[in-house]
Amino acid sequence: MRTFCTMLKTEWKLSLRGMDMFIFAICMPLVVLVILGILYGDQPAYAGASYTFLEQSFGALASISICAGGVMGLPLVVSDYRNRKILKRLQVTPVSPAMILLVQVAIYTLYALASLVLLFLVASIFFGLQIRGSFALFLCGYLLVLLSMFSIGLMVGGVAPNTKIAGVIASVLYFPMLIFSGATLPYEAMPSALQKAADILPLTQGIKLLKAASLGLPIDDIWLPVVVMAAIAVVCIAIALRFFRWE
Amino acid sequence: MDCVIQVETLSKTYGTLTAVDHLNLCVERGTVFGLLGANGAGKSTTIECILGTKKPDCGTVRILGQNPATDRKKLFERVGIQFQEANYQEKITVRELCEVTASLYRKADDFRRLLAEFGLADKEKSPVNSLSGGQRQRLFIVLALLPDPEVVFLDELTTGLDARARRDVWKILSELKAKGLTILLTSHFMDEVEALCDQICILKHGRPIFYGTVAQAVEQSPFEQFEDAYLWYTEEE
Repeated sequence: MRTFCTMLKTEWKLSLRGMDMFIFAICMPLVVLVILGILYGDQPAYAGASYTFLEQSFGALASISICAGGVMGLPLVVSDYRNRKILKRLQVTPVSPAMILLVQVAIYTLYALASLVLLFLVASIFFGLQIRGSFALFLCGYLLVLLSMFSIGLMVGGVAPNTKIAGVIASVLYFPMLIFSGATLPYEAMPSALQKAADILPLTQGIKLLKAASLGLPIDDIWLPVVVMAAIAVVCIAIALRFFRWE
Repeated sequence: MDCVIQVETLSKTYGTLTAVDHLNLCVERGTVFGLLGANGAGKSTTIECILGTKKPDCGTVRILGQNPATDRKKLFERVGIQFQEANYQEKITVRELCEVTASLYRKADDFRRLLAEFGLADKEKSPVNSLSGGQRQRLFIVLALLPDPEVVFLDELTTGLDARARRDVWKILSELKAKGLTILLTSHFMDEVEALCDQICILKHGRPIFYGTVAQAVEQSPFEQFEDAYLWYTEEE
């Protein structure tokens, strides 16, 4: 526990000094929120809808920082530490691989939660957002999305042979998910062919969950996305730990 | 004989290159052992195989009676290591690096005392990046000593240090040795080896070509000075 706290404190300071996660996980979703808020204000999502466009988008916006931390931040930091031989130095200390990974997961969880709170405050103060569904259910969904996205990141960071390839894989995962899963472009605005393609992305399923929870909508197949996301988390975490390499 | 570090028939090849060839070592408690040889003679590979960060092709290694590859978590509470290249996070400060390293061990020494002993007390808040080569080298010796270890591995201990700092480091290590610390080091400075090492092993193409004390090394060569003797041993035919 002492090890965890000290490592977390130091890594958190180092991460803030780096600034990039502050931009991608905190500022970027906020900017998208403000733009959508200014464009659509408190207009209903569609004619006759009982909720606003912004309320419909909130779940998606909240997932931007999960996506940035999970599939960009995590894999890059793990492979960078391997590349700099920091992991090699840690290999000859008593620390376990799980502890090293857990500290990084905690850091990106902090970013994601900070982003969530900030988005919620700004959206409810300036754009009249209300959570119409269950807040508890929304949080559960949020943590499940976070867990599965982060596990993908851990797996990529664990198996990528070097920083360059980790960067390429991270980009290949990050940008399509950010654009097509509904995190930035509204899913509802996409043609249905594109919607079907986007359904394959795990983040699309996650955002559907968040949307249903925040809007209080019934969801036909709640178990499908839940099972898919949980399965991704279990498989990826197992692979990340099994194939963890110090060098 | 009580071997704190025991290596038996250790071999490691990279493709067709034999880096270490049937090496046997025994380092006794409270002694300093020098692993010598030209660049590329197999010193670093030997250390990595002993530490378990590289997997040897054959042979057995025991440190404090434990297998470093399988008992890593228990063993490295009692062993300190200074690597040749310093590996640390960009933008980390001296204090942060010390705090984090100390937190990895169940019981760690006071890093402020160690920093002061190695002349780095006023550098606590500096980024590690901004230190000079010699200061960074001393910082990494501090990190190796942080767990209050029973055994330390020092790879190219005083490379980059000025004359004064080298003498200071020798003095500190001699004091630690008197308290029972076991040290395995590599060095390219023969004065250092003469001053510190109880036993040496000279490697050439991964094979030990001399094993014994510095005095024996001089005796068995046609020379009077240890540095001349060392060069004679490592000379290419």
